[in-house]
Amino acid sequence: MSNVLHRITNTLFPVSVAGPRVWVYIGAAIVVGVAGLVALMSTPPRYRKIIVMAITFLGGLFFSLEFLLPHEAVQVGARAVPGSAGVARFAEGLTNAKPSVADWVMIIGSFTLLLGTFNLFQMHGKAVRKKTAGWYNSLAFFISFFLIMTMGFLKDGLSGPAQTASTQLFAILFNGFVQQLDATMFSLIAFYIVSAAYRAFRVRSAEAGLMMGTAGIIMLGLVPIGTILTNWLPHSGPLSGLRLENITYWLLTWPNMAVQRAIEFGLAVGWLAMSLRIWLSLERGSFFDRQL
Amino acid sequence: MGRMTEFANPATYVVEGLLVFLILWKILSARRGRELFIRRIPGLSVLDEAVGRATEMGRPMLYAPGMSGLDIVGLQSMAIMSHVIKRAAAYSTRVIVPLCSPVLYTVAEEVAKDAYATAGVPELFIPEDIRYLTDQQFAWASGVVGIQHREKIATAFYFGAYAAEALILAENGQMVGAIQVAGTPSIIQIPFFLAACDYTIIGDEYYAASAYLSREPTLLGSLVGQDYGKLVMIGLVLIGVVGVTLAALETRYHWLHGVNDVFQNCFLRYFPGRR
Repeated sequence: MSNVLHRITNTLFPVSVAGPRVWVYIGAAIVVGVAGLVALMSTPPRYRKIIVMAITFLGGLFFSLEFLLPHEAVQVGARAVPGSAGVARFAEGLTNAKPSVADWVMIIGSFTLLLGTFNLFQMHGKAVRKKTAGWYNSLAFFISFFLIMTMGFLKDGLSGPAQTASTQLFAILFNGFVQQLDATMFSLIAFYIVSAAYRAFRVRSAEAGLMMGTAGIIMLGLVPIGTILTNWLPHSGPLSGLRLENITYWLLTWPNMAVQRAIEFGLAVGWLAMSLRIWLSLERGSFFDRQL
Repeated sequence: MGRMTEFANPATYVVEGLLVFLILWKILSARRGRELFIRRIPGLSVLDEAVGRATEMGRPMLYAPGMSGLDIVGLQSMAIMSHVIKRAAAYSTRVIVPLCSPVLYTVAEEVAKDAYATAGVPELFIPEDIRYLTDQQFAWASGVVGIQHREKIATAFYFGAYAAEALILAENGQMVGAIQVAGTPSIIQIPFFLAACDYTIIGDEYYAASAYLSREPTLLGSLVGQDYGKLVMIGLVLIGVVGVTLAALETRYHWLHGVNDVFQNCFLRYFPGRR
């Protein structure tokens, strides 16, 4: 029985496929996907919601069981608890299936990329068509989109000098433009930090004063001048705690870390509550309780 | 120890079981009509003021869900966005939503459409206002900055997962004179939002936002359950502090050895980590 199941699983979800069979699998996956979508859309809304709730529940159940079930037989003294070896095997099976489930999520997500691209085309196409203000930026979008896409295909699909040329052009577009523009945006943060710090450090209340003082100590403690300022204090003994670099270390490691962990605990409990509501379809508001 | 951190151990069953029980118990009691109190959260109470300002100025609002994808953070952001759009729709004020996740874009479009319909003005929904920009972090940030300056936004909401782009957006929002409200579970970005925004909600207030805004019994119950859950966490921390202190005192008071042994075997070993 398990052999038959194993063979069916291997045929439906093979580890790797080569040659023309790849196209058979791609075609079959598309047909099954479209059929599933059509079936879902033609289901009466009342039942459609139940299907969505059931799929959400099963998805959550998969990951919960994978995490919660023991992956080793439970021992009491020298003996294993009856049935626990089977549970452990089942849990191990779920863990092995995790990459495939993650692949499904990625495949479904990649379909939405098409919708996102469609939205971009719609917006920028309208701007170019109607020649609205800044329409040439939208034209630049189309040019760069098709140029980098074409070069991406050509560099992998061609051979010889044409491939070299397309690879070089792709490198210019990606390394020369995309990455440099990314770095430019990132480097702007340095300037924004200064202006934000100026506003944040204006001492308007006791709390702001405390923050200003603490920030000053930490900044000084992290640079050589700060160490020089309190270098006259001994390196060990009770007074060493007053050296700026030690105060900085203490502030960052104790009060700061304690507060961060407190926030993290709160966030984790909030995350759990939200996950639970979505998993059990208890979530209300926005689109969760609408008619599908 | 490897598997003890990778999968659930007995402590996980007890703590998670207790938290799940508390949250579900409070949800059920709230659904039965029990009155629940939640404190005022200034960052969320200011929502009407922020919408009103944009309406008075006749300028649009920006709702940026950050780098959130279709996960718990992103879905919570969508829940908050739904409330923002409903309030904005009541005053016929535009809300522009730039997204960096194509998956979340499809959800955001549905949520926005639904919010306008619920507010009774489905005709105000402009599909172009829900924009997918790119999934590249800084390209998305520059796109949003462009929108802030071109559209001269009056109000900006930043609710979602944020990284280094948080300060870029908040500072540009300041430049255009927008009133800014932010909330993120990304702890490292909270100080930047605090420095640059008018109102910032901190930590688990992010997950309290939808309950606070909608006052829906299920969500309120869940929120109160969360607070009980936090009490459990505080209790666990206190037990841990006592245990670790006793372990440190063992070198001076040898009679503590037995107590520490029991504590180590029954409690601490189920909380693997740096000690």
